[in-house]
Amino acid sequence: MKEAEMEMIEAMKRDGAAIGRNFKEGRHSCRPARMAGTKASGMARGLGCFQGVTVFHALVRPLRGHGDRNVAAPWLAVVLLLAFLVSGSAAEPAEWTFRNHVQPVLSKAGCNSGGCHGALAGKGGFRLSLNAYDPEGDHYNITRDARGRRVEFADPARSLLLTKATAAVRHKGGKRFEPGSRDYRVLAGWIANGAKPPTDDDATLERLEIEPKQALLKKGDTRSLTVRAHYSDGAVEDVTSWAKFASADETVVEVDAVTGELKVVGHGEGAITVWFSSRIEIARVTSPFPNTVPEEVFAEAPRQNFIDELVLEQLRSLNLPPSPRASDEVFVRRAHLDAIGALPTPSETVAFLKDNTPDKRARLIRDLLTRSEYVDYWTYRWSDVFLVNGRLLRPEAVKAYYQWLRGEVAANTPWDELARHVVTAKGDSLENGASNFFAVHQDPESMAENVSQAFLSLSIGCAKCHNHPLEKWTNDQYYSFANLFSRVRAKGWGGDARNGDGRRTLYIADRGELIQPRTGRPQPPAPLDAEPLAFDTDRDRREYLADWLTSPENPYFTKAVVNRVWAAFMGTGLVEMVDDLRVSNPPSNEPLLDALAAFLVEKDYDLKALMRLIMSSETYQRSSDALPGNRDDKRHYSRYYPRRLMAEVLHDAVADITQKPSVFDNLLNRDGSRTKTGFYSRGTRALQLFDSAVDNYFLQAFGRNKRDITCDCERSNQPSMIQALHLSNGSTLNDKLRAAGSCVDQAMEGADAGQIVDRAYLLSLSRSPTAPEREGLVKLLSETPAKEKRAAVEDLFWALMTSREFLFQH
Amino acid sequence: MIDFLAEKDASICGGSHLTRREFLQVGALGAAGLSLPQYLAAKERGAVKPGNDEKACIMIFNLGGPSHLDLWDMKPDAPSEIRGPFKPIRTKSPDIDISEILPRHAKIADKFSLVRSCHHSGAAVHDAGWQMMQTGRRFIGGIHTPHAGAVTSFLQGRKTDLPPFVVLPELMGRGGGNLPNGQAGGFLGKAHDPFALMADPSKPKFKAPDLLPPDQIGANRLARRKSMRQLVDETVKSFEASEDARLMDDNFQAAFRMMTSDQARSAFDLEKEPQKVRERYGMNRFGQCCLLARRLVENGVRFVTINTFLTVFGETTWDIHGSKPFTSIDGMKNIVCPLYDQGYSALIEDLHERGMLDNTLVTGLSEFGRTPKVNPAGGRDHWPQCFTVSFAGGGVKGGQAVGASDPIGGFPAERPVGPGDVVATIFKSLGFDHEAHLPGPAGRPFPLVDLGTHPIKELF
Repeated sequence: MKEAEMEMIEAMKRDGAAIGRNFKEGRHSCRPARMAGTKASGMARGLGCFQGVTVFHALVRPLRGHGDRNVAAPWLAVVLLLAFLVSGSAAEPAEWTFRNHVQPVLSKAGCNSGGCHGALAGKGGFRLSLNAYDPEGDHYNITRDARGRRVEFADPARSLLLTKATAAVRHKGGKRFEPGSRDYRVLAGWIANGAKPPTDDDATLERLEIEPKQALLKKGDTRSLTVRAHYSDGAVEDVTSWAKFASADETVVEVDAVTGELKVVGHGEGAITVWFSSRIEIARVTSPFPNTVPEEVFAEAPRQNFIDELVLEQLRSLNLPPSPRASDEVFVRRAHLDAIGALPTPSETVAFLKDNTPDKRARLIRDLLTRSEYVDYWTYRWSDVFLVNGRLLRPEAVKAYYQWLRGEVAANTPWDELARHVVTAKGDSLENGASNFFAVHQDPESMAENVSQAFLSLSIGCAKCHNHPLEKWTNDQYYSFANLFSRVRAKGWGGDARNGDGRRTLYIADRGELIQPRTGRPQPPAPLDAEPLAFDTDRDRREYLADWLTSPENPYFTKAVVNRVWAAFMGTGLVEMVDDLRVSNPPSNEPLLDALAAFLVEKDYDLKALMRLIMSSETYQRSSDALPGNRDDKRHYSRYYPRRLMAEVLHDAVADITQKPSVFDNLLNRDGSRTKTGFYSRGTRALQLFDSAVDNYFLQAFGRNKRDITCDCERSNQPSMIQALHLSNGSTLNDKLRAAGSCVDQAMEGADAGQIVDRAYLLSLSRSPTAPEREGLVKLLSETPAKEKRAAVEDLFWALMTSREFLFQH
Repeated sequence: MIDFLAEKDASICGGSHLTRREFLQVGALGAAGLSLPQYLAAKERGAVKPGNDEKACIMIFNLGGPSHLDLWDMKPDAPSEIRGPFKPIRTKSPDIDISEILPRHAKIADKFSLVRSCHHSGAAVHDAGWQMMQTGRRFIGGIHTPHAGAVTSFLQGRKTDLPPFVVLPELMGRGGGNLPNGQAGGFLGKAHDPFALMADPSKPKFKAPDLLPPDQIGANRLARRKSMRQLVDETVKSFEASEDARLMDDNFQAAFRMMTSDQARSAFDLEKEPQKVRERYGMNRFGQCCLLARRLVENGVRFVTINTFLTVFGETTWDIHGSKPFTSIDGMKNIVCPLYDQGYSALIEDLHERGMLDNTLVTGLSEFGRTPKVNPAGGRDHWPQCFTVSFAGGGVKGGQAVGASDPIGGFPAERPVGPGDVVATIFKSLGFDHEAHLPGPAGRPFPLVDLGTHPIKELF
């Protein structure tokens, strides 16, 4: 009974990780906790295996008449002994249940997949719920639908369920498993035992255990995974053969989706997603880079706080040498851009470079976080998350929404409080700007989906129609969650966003439920996996949601915001995409994400404290110059990763340096027409705009967030030829440089060619030119005839402001 | 099978016999991210079969998912809740009946063929279908497979000063499923991302944005800017290790090439077309994109994708759920179909009249079809289980209906065709060996299309 063996891994431990080469010799078997012995049917499977289903059936049937265990006891003893003799060890569940065995078989065999019977309309007249989200419905369809012809109690082997799956009769889906296989016997056994329905008393799956959970392997190594299911009745079963496997990053590790055999194909941290019965668990694989890095490199690397400890620990396990500290010139620019979205002015740069005190970086960080530009920048960033968008809201509502958010950022409202303000917002949309969140999302489903996306970084939309294929969220949980919003109403909802005055009054109705379409009944209101609320509670259900959401025990809420902030400073999230926190998309450094989340909880959700911590770390302050050993690292922070500046920051840098702000007096409508707006006075910076609908080609070409849906993916920081063309030929940079009184005239005032070059460098790159740069540029300037002098200095600024050093954070 | 990953020792100095044309071409390839050995490997080992340099593809992507049942796979004998409100009409091809709301299609039905048995197994959300139908695969294991146009860019590079792969009028927006939409270079690198126009060519005085330097910047200043920028841009070491930074540099080079090219300038200039020709295509965004696509192909662009719409949110599109904020069946009949019918038929006829159709494949693709049953709002919902795609030109024999759906258009009844087969068909038309390999993530060989997917042979 090989299939009943539970694989045990006698793993040698080193650094907490199992070492691959010991694996093959390390197999053992042991008996699962839920042993044969309580009922006859389970044991008899030993014989079933040996002699086929008919024998098994013959044995079981007489027993089924006797519900009383005592009556069956003598029989049991015989069978048990027999089973032991036949197989050497008996280890099967007591009885195959529909929920915990039959459905996993159907899932693994792909019967209930979207392309087969799991399609909304089923296939060939037979319909199953996608990935088994509806056990009752599936049971009905298998045992009762089509006049019950899919199961033959008297002769399970003749059940259509089995003859189709084994392709004994014509089956469009082909042969899914062999007669006599373990899968076959589960279905046959279950049918023989009366094809019992799922009940509320069924043991529920509590957790999955993967062995090894973490493995240290080399490129080229192979390995198998073992999956054990732990049930609420204490039973533990080996479910490896019913689990499905997928690799989160196939450039590091590949996995056989069926067997769980994995192969390491690259370097870095790999993760395998294991799916069983709507549960997801991760196994991690560490594959060190092929470098030789002396131990002291890590031991002696400076550390400012726990970030550095945890990052260095990972770098050590991956053989990635850390790049050294960035220069002061680089740091002052980097810190300004990340904390306040603006370049340092020449005098700020010079003052910082001249300062010789050892704590000057710490002081700069502290000062930056108190600047008014901080409020502009971070209000703008959070406006992306909350969809402050003139295509979705009337202008007055956009303004109220923005100003509310700006007030929260200015006050550094703790993130949990801010979340509560949004989630429980009510009243007049112009007075309580936060309530516009619900003007953007006017039905319970989209409220639920967007709260989840914004605050938990979880996309639960899939679960609206079926169990989430990549996540543990079920269709029922989705409707429980959405039902928390079923009583949110407002006067003035509906209609086109551009009609009316935007004044809406949000209130909570005293009745109203959202119907779960599958059952035709409302689901008890509950936040995802929390305990449900009574239907008749007087409280605004959203307050209960806010309690759950912001509770420090919530595993997503804190990590979601930590990852957003981390990615804003480091360029690459611990989880990528930044707002995709599903279990099957694990972080690159889990202990670090956990520790950062714990830190934020401890600091009562003070985001500035988190930012200070990040900016103070050596990790943040590392040079972006790659070492030979860390060139290929893209996820583990062995160096700082250069990235193109975000559209608005780049725009403002151009406007600040040239001292020629843009004019923002039109909104660009979806149909390409324009509407005047009087919100933005002369001198407004792009980061001060309320609204993503403001017409500006530069911002569009550089990929600003359109704020149509809650998704970080709506922003693009990717370089493109359109951008190169706009910088080269477009109006933004050229017109600003050409305008009278721009930085060009100021730089030329009373200066020789060398001084002009120095000034231009300090303004745009926050540093002095190198000797060859200075020499070359001075030569080019000096060669210019006097009447072309201004044009030549324009060209100098153009060259600086189209250089990658300018366009990129580095 | 061809393998691009094999070490090649070809080099310019090493005595390879490069013609001047090849040399120039290789120079251009550098900007597109294809190194000399890769290019020579591609050429010498036959991933691109010889004699195919004139081939091109225009991929029309019908965002929203047109209703196959109301357009090109009608079921007049089905019950009313299946067959919908429209009637089929006869066409120039005896094998194809088509909807009465596509009358111009009927007149050119001898030039295009329909595949009525297309389907995919991805989720019924827009972006899942976008990525599958444009790249031939679903993105799994963190691997973003490249758009068929990006593969073309990689294998063939640019032919003229124009980029090899262009998207009109803009890249697709987001589809609501938060999935990548497949309109990029994927693992081939961002260097093979398309050039997106970012403008509406039907607007009065349309010009490709920023294609030309401002008047005050003449040749002297351009040269000075170039040399100054070169001086400034080489200092920061860290950019060597950053793909984005390398790409920004390539973009500047490619931009410079384009803005100084008369051919590129002329290709984007729709005013060079007689008004009658412009009107024939329809004076709307889609129609003028079709016309511009023809001009681009004439001028050496190898692959053009036209997005019929930019997003499925807040726009009248093929996404006919029937109720707001989506499109109604009347919206499709009165707004979407007339402009599609006109633009598509004008493009096919024009290519034919100019003798370009044989070398230019025009595909009409979409992310899915619509539910067989009309919904309570009078519309139809997403249905990836069965839909229709079209092919014309590029060696495809017109007037055929390949494959068939079941009596309610719910599933393929004959010759099921998947996204991989569709993309393999495009590759066949372009003269690529679909079994050749690309350098995949981490340098692993990655076939152009998955094993087991094949070009739709009946079309050729």
